Amino acid sequence: MKKFLTLLLAVVMLAAVVSCSGPGTDAPAPAEETPAETPAEPEAPAAEEPAGEEPAAGDKKDEDITIVVIPQQLGNVVFLPAKEGAEDAGRDLGINVEWQAPVKADPTLQIEIIESLIERQVDGIAISCTHPDAMKDVLKRALDAGIAVSTYDADSPDSGRIFFCGTENYEAGVICGEHMVELYKDSTKDKIRVAQLEGIPGAFDITARMQGFADAIKGSNIEVVYTGACDDDVDKAVIVVEDYTRANGDSIDAWFMAGGWPYIVGPDAMPELKKWKEADPENRRVVTMDVFPSSKAHFDLKLVDVAVGQNFYNMGYLSVENLYKYIKGQEIAGEEKEGFPGKFISTGAEIVTQENYKEMIPDE
Amino acid sequence: MNAKTVKRQNGFADLGRRIIKSSSFNIFIVLLVMCAIMYIVSEPFRSIDNVLSIARNFSAYAITGIGVSLVIISGGIDLSLGSVYGFAGVIACMAMADLGWAALPSVLIGMAAGGLFGLFNGILVIKAKLPPFIATLGTMSIARSLCYILTEGYPVTDVQERFLFLGQGYIAGIPTPIWMMIIFAVIFAIFMNQTVTGRRVYALGGNEEATRISGINVNKIKLIVYTLCSLLAGFSGIMTASRLGIGQPTSGIGFEMDAIAAVIIGGASLSGGVGTVTGTILGAAIMGVLRNALVLLSIKSHWQNLIIGFVIIIAVAADQLKKSSGK
Repeated sequence: MKKFLTLLLAVVMLAAVVSCSGPGTDAPAPAEETPAETPAEPEAPAAEEPAGEEPAAGDKKDEDITIVVIPQQLGNVVFLPAKEGAEDAGRDLGINVEWQAPVKADPTLQIEIIESLIERQVDGIAISCTHPDAMKDVLKRALDAGIAVSTYDADSPDSGRIFFCGTENYEAGVICGEHMVELYKDSTKDKIRVAQLEGIPGAFDITARMQGFADAIKGSNIEVVYTGACDDDVDKAVIVVEDYTRANGDSIDAWFMAGGWPYIVGPDAMPELKKWKEADPENRRVVTMDVFPSSKAHFDLKLVDVAVGQNFYNMGYLSVENLYKYIKGQEIAGEEKEGFPGKFISTGAEIVTQENYKEMIPDE
Repeated sequence: MNAKTVKRQNGFADLGRRIIKSSSFNIFIVLLVMCAIMYIVSEPFRSIDNVLSIARNFSAYAITGIGVSLVIISGGIDLSLGSVYGFAGVIACMAMADLGWAALPSVLIGMAAGGLFGLFNGILVIKAKLPPFIATLGTMSIARSLCYILTEGYPVTDVQERFLFLGQGYIAGIPTPIWMMIIFAVIFAIFMNQTVTGRRVYALGGNEEATRISGINVNKIKLIVYTLCSLLAGFSGIMTASRLGIGQPTSGIGFEMDAIAAVIIGGASLSGGVGTVTGTILGAAIMGVLRNALVLLSIKSHWQNLIIGFVIIIAVAADQLKKSSGK
């Protein structure tokens, strides 16, 4: 039995190694490439030179370039369009793009992945940071090792990364808040009471959105009276929203979802929210971050007033495209912003409303 | 007063004493106190809709809890059930969305997929002699990984309309998941108390060596409990997929801890041989009421897990104290 198990273990490990060897692992090992190649000086790297390093793979053949894109968590549907975008960019440019995702949103798991990538000497890394401070040292080390590093969706500005690509979370929260104020501008009520939904309490990106929302409604008659957390779990999101709406539906006027977890499911999975909204659609409002194909069914039933999407496809595509340009010594896109290190490549915010949702949301 | 009346009165008194002495009674009192407090402080808690919602929400924990209670009573543990829960939901939804299967066969194939993991767990424990903790830790990763491999991380949509009845439907005004919980509770209470196999599960958890020496096939019992555990976890996962209308590869992450907590609150002992189906249902109900109460009372999210942790400790400590004072 023991012999059989040992053999089985060996076969499984071998099979795993063989089957998991993607295109990226076909790239020459660092030991082979370093002595043979002299890193080219980029002609015009538009961003500040990170930590005194220069792009290491400027004269590499395209098919030998590997860029790794890291989301915050495997299985978080928000990041799937970014994966598609990154892979499309890889195909268009003829380079290797890998998707390396930690099993849960945890900075230590992202750090482990990046440390492995430093060992592998990949050419570029685009990452959505679970926390800006937790990630900055390891990202600096990657830059020092000659790897081109950028961030998307959630930034780590002090890491020295070359550029950030995305919608600033704080700004996205501000947009949501401004729309909430706009929706209630004609209201005669003294106080507009809002319940809000967050993911994992304290998560940097969601907290930034909530802060943006809070700042945007400051000075208005809108007040956040409740914050429920769903731990980034769709099932828990549905339960929290349903329970709170059932219990306090009459004493709240609006919901602000700081992430779109409840809209991954169909409207029938949230009968209480549906009942609450349909009872007084003009005075009960819902503003949410994120837009998914499944959001359309909620818009069809007028259960959502405004959804602010972040165009993750573009985040993935533009991150890979501009890292490639940087590696090749070409000028990257984006703009300089005062007090903002590196370049900012804005993917904008898609503001989806009852008026435009049919054009804005693709069919599932 | 004739002899028949006296005998009947003594019978009732005996039953009353047995109920009060049972570990489930302590848990029931904890649940009752929680409900009483919530009844006083929160008006929305009192509505029938809210009570049904609580029961619907904890039914998945309870059904999975019944399964894992069998494993715990037998002296084992199953950490894979959260992943099996997600895997079965994904398989059932994929059978409908990708293969065009009808709802019922899709549910059955999902359950079978879950059950296979249980069978595999059982084989690892009895044939490879792996400790249950290690065996199920491994299958936990395998099942979760298969969820991601099969779906590439995308939720599986386009399920059959009829499938939604399992999670979203009502029978006689009661949500279907509650009926499912009741049905499974009755079946497994009878299984554990009235069948030879059920009694052998207790014997196995109480003293494996003595059970083996007495001629009982302990391997067969282990295989049965691990398979049943995964079968029930799979069913719960499918029920949740039906409630949400999607099969999520991330469904059930961390679920095993909640299900095991429900079993422990319900009076089961991690060293085996002790536990009841009723206790498990009450343990799941305590967790359900608690989660609902925290939302209804607008308690800040940061505090919720702390409160849940304390309630678990208090409920189990109260039970232990009562047991030791009764000795």
